[in-house]
Amino acid sequence: MAEPADHITCEEVVALVSDYLDGALPPEQVELFEQHLNFCEGCGAYVEQMRTTVAAVGRIREEDLPADTLDRLLAAFRDWRRQ
Amino acid sequence: MIAYKFLQPDGTSPFSGFRWTLPEEGAPGQWVEAAVDPCRSGVHACRVSDLPFWAGRTLYEIELDGEVVEHRRKLVGSRGRLLRRIEAWDDDLRDAYTRACADRAHELAFSVSPPLEHWDAVVEPAVGGGPALLGFVAARIAEEISGPAAYRDERYKQASWLAGHLGLDG
Repeated sequence: MAEPADHITCEEVVALVSDYLDGALPPEQVELFEQHLNFCEGCGAYVEQMRTTVAAVGRIREEDLPADTLDRLLAAFRDWRRQ
Repeated sequence: MIAYKFLQPDGTSPFSGFRWTLPEEGAPGQWVEAAVDPCRSGVHACRVSDLPFWAGRTLYEIELDGEVVEHRRKLVGSRGRLLRRIEAWDDDLRDAYTRACADRAHELAFSVSPPLEHWDAVVEPAVGGGPALLGFVAARIAEEISGPAAYRDERYKQASWLAGHLGLDG
């Protein structure tokens, strides 16, 4: 079996941040993720911004949104997926 | 089991945000209990060999008790309490360790021909990022030259430096 990595990159932090905040990463990856945050100020700030965003947006229910806002968001996601 | 723990200056854990009761006038802090689930729950702490990976602002000696799981770069116990602050880990020693890592990084970058000038260029700007960053930079340069074993060897040397200057066994 290949030996596990000793560190991860900033790009990997960005890719893993949602799983990290959801508590869905395996312990070995959490360890590498947090080791990276311990020395990378930029990634630390990014993760905190994501945590704040999730905390704020996570409180908004679908029925809380005005219909036109919901339509614009759905259109934006559709365009993003096509890209 | 005796281990070590880095905390923020206010006594909180950098990742969980948990606020520890700190040792005072020679008396340990309160016991903290949590189910052991590495990286999710439990009392997380360092062996001496783990210190370079988690270097932070303040360092404490911690007593772990109950179930203790050895993870790759940490220990996780079901109980723990802070025994004493390791006063030697102060601003001066943090700066000295950071400088030692920076000097080692320069040395490594110029140990090969041609020198790794693009790596050497990141060293001095990184000094302001502190000891954890410079330890990583030095280990990464070693890895760039000689592979993952060299990264681990560099980390081992950093742990030895810290153990020697902090008067820790391990």
